[in-house]
Amino acid sequence: MVRRVLALTSGRIAVVILAVIALLALLGPWLAPQDPLATGDHALAAYSAGHWMGTDHLGRDVLSRLLDGSRVSVLGSLEVALVALVAGAVPGILSVHLGRVFEWLTLRIADTLVALPFLLFAIAVIALLGNGITQAMLVTGTLVSPLFYRVSRAATLAVARSAYVEAAIVSGASIGWIVRRHVWAKVLPPIAVALAQTVGVGFVIVSSLTFLGIGVQPPEPTWGGLLASDLGYLGHRPWAPVAPALLIMITVWACNLLADAIRDVSGEAGRAPANDRKARAHRREAAGPHPAGGSR
Amino acid sequence: MSARPTTFPRRLRLRPARRPFGPRAAALGAVAALLVPALTACGGAASPATGDATLKWASSYFPAHWDPVVSGSGAQFRQLSLVYASLTRTDEDGKAVPDLAESWSYNDRGDRITFTLRPGQRFSDGEPVDAAAVKAAIERAQKQENSALFGDLTSIGKVEANGLEATLHLTQVDYQIPQLLGQRVLQIASPKAAEDPAKLDQHPVGAGPFVIEQLVPGTKAVLRKNPGYWDAADIHIDHVELVSAPDASTVVSGLRTGVYNFADIDPSQADAAKKAGLDVFVQPGFNAANLSLNVNKAPFDDDRVVDAVRHAVDRREFVDKLTFGYGEATDQPFPKGYVAYDPESENAYPHDPARARKLLAEAGHRPGDLRLDLVIPSEDPQAEIVQSQLAAVGITVTIRIDKNWATPFFAKDLTFSLYGTTGRDSAVQTLTAHFGPDGPLNLSTPYEPDGFEEAVAKVRQTPLDAPGYAGTLRAATRAGLKSRALVFTYASPNLFAKTRAVSGLPKNPGHVDWTGVTVSGGN
Repeated sequence: MVRRVLALTSGRIAVVILAVIALLALLGPWLAPQDPLATGDHALAAYSAGHWMGTDHLGRDVLSRLLDGSRVSVLGSLEVALVALVAGAVPGILSVHLGRVFEWLTLRIADTLVALPFLLFAIAVIALLGNGITQAMLVTGTLVSPLFYRVSRAATLAVARSAYVEAAIVSGASIGWIVRRHVWAKVLPPIAVALAQTVGVGFVIVSSLTFLGIGVQPPEPTWGGLLASDLGYLGHRPWAPVAPALLIMITVWACNLLADAIRDVSGEAGRAPANDRKARAHRREAAGPHPAGGSR
Repeated sequence: MSARPTTFPRRLRLRPARRPFGPRAAALGAVAALLVPALTACGGAASPATGDATLKWASSYFPAHWDPVVSGSGAQFRQLSLVYASLTRTDEDGKAVPDLAESWSYNDRGDRITFTLRPGQRFSDGEPVDAAAVKAAIERAQKQENSALFGDLTSIGKVEANGLEATLHLTQVDYQIPQLLGQRVLQIASPKAAEDPAKLDQHPVGAGPFVIEQLVPGTKAVLRKNPGYWDAADIHIDHVELVSAPDASTVVSGLRTGVYNFADIDPSQADAAKKAGLDVFVQPGFNAANLSLNVNKAPFDDDRVVDAVRHAVDRREFVDKLTFGYGEATDQPFPKGYVAYDPESENAYPHDPARARKLLAEAGHRPGDLRLDLVIPSEDPQAEIVQSQLAAVGITVTIRIDKNWATPFFAKDLTFSLYGTTGRDSAVQTLTAHFGPDGPLNLSTPYEPDGFEEAVAKVRQTPLDAPGYAGTLRAATRAGLKSRALVFTYASPNLFAKTRAVSGLPKNPGHVDWTGVTVSGGN
């Protein structure tokens, strides 16, 4: 699947962008030219050799804060996606195989979770448990998990009714073996699509919460937090919100692009040619030569 | 309700001249014809104005409570004074002058004061403004369970009501009472309405210059002029729309587009407001911010650590980064120039990081060893400056945001926090609030500096017009500043922006007084 995704231009763009963002998250704190928390004398300074992206309202280097803040934003969104994956996909697959009680129970839990507004719920949980990005993302991931539950359950149901799975059951195969051998391969592509999408959604959620000052303690930098503080000083640095906003936007766009690419190359669509050129060639071959004149 | 096209003519005038006619102008005219009614409706649809003078005030301090006994916030009483009047008010010199009371007099010993109320006054519900209403207001402020004022009224014992004469029997000689009972401490509500304090909290009834017509809790209040107000002839505003400012960065836009014509603004927005052609002005006040230390708890139970913090603080950084030149450094609970400001105590602990590090070393703290939690109610750049300055001397500060901060702060459970006061009309009240053993702003209760109580008693016993009053008051400030529990940093400005439609305000320190203010037709 990776090779097929990379065969698409959109897939390559998405992977390159996300790889760069991942590198920023890994190396950002070391790449930061200055201490992101150290205040300086020159507040709200413009671009300069000493501060490539200027300074914020307390004289801190904006570039250093952007680089340092990438880790929280990336890890937070990954936490949302992974928690949602585990909390949603596993019961989604098992709900088809573990009997009606488990199925009924998990369906009702999924319905309940869908009904809860995750942003407000995350704020409420933080109010209860204290201000921390980990607990906020844990809760948000749980609330997003019904997406994975439904996707994996739908895919599993399709496989479970196939003749080869019934044959495996008749021949005494265990549920674990059936899931590993038959179900997982069929369920994986839609889950991969949902995962890529959820990382993007997680980014939006992390940025929204940190924009509101929730989840991190000051002065820890985050992209959402930088965006929020920059908005208060638009009169002095009108261009300042562009950088964090652009980073958030590009990252979310790349996640969606990757999800589209995975969708394009997986499942029924994946069996079709993986890029436009191949698709056009395929259509030309299928259509055959046009008749020279008349009909029939 | 009429929607007044208040903004567009002005904005169009401000634009540079372009080709006046032609297809583009015609198209713009058509678009404007469609947009003007819609946009002006957005800005003023809720206005009850009938072409009258309407003040549209956006405030970051929209009152959470409209019962003046409950609302303890220093900034919110300015909004409550739209509805409530007090016995006295302060003039531009900060002196107490008549408001609901037309005069007052002390007995010879100074332990009894009689206020004589203006005749014929009524609350907006028709109840008379008499001595019984004053007595009820004082007793309610002293006894109501959720009163934020009882600590301010300890000098007042029994109140006698006799027609329009309210006599206050004091527990000690106290010449501060006329100042104390100004707008901040005793805004008087109708006793009938106050029988149900919970209802009063959302349906305020006073005898102030305006009457509430509509109140959306936490969001918006619509008021109209009170024709029964004693000084109604000097109130030239017919309607007030008070709204909670959604965000500091949007207020200037609201003023430019005519959604508001008056707003309190953050200093960071002053430059944008000026560039937008708005009037930006500072209303004098008593604001002062501080670091609150609990000397009953480690590490502040060690004087050397307290002194290290005092020397670590660079007040200039607070002024430069938080007030944009509108504030000033102060090491006292008042701004410089105020009658209680003590020049002798100025700069007693200058910024000296080397000395701070030395003091910490003497106290046995190696750089980075000392770790403190700075607990604050919401994100505040002030805390980040404190964190940075203390880090420079080797103290590691972790900022903790606690939405329920008020509970542990006023219960004196915190070790280290921040506070900013808007001050009181009575300087003595400001001093006792900060340095008194039970002062609400003294995080180290019951600690008080040596000699403070005696110095304050001396001020209380000195008539305000006595020649030695200022010196006695400054001596009390000096005694208070020996407190190890507070490190004052800077005085933030009361900064406002208004459109040119609103005339200038009286410069009453700490107050927003609408007497004589006019609002012309356009914004």
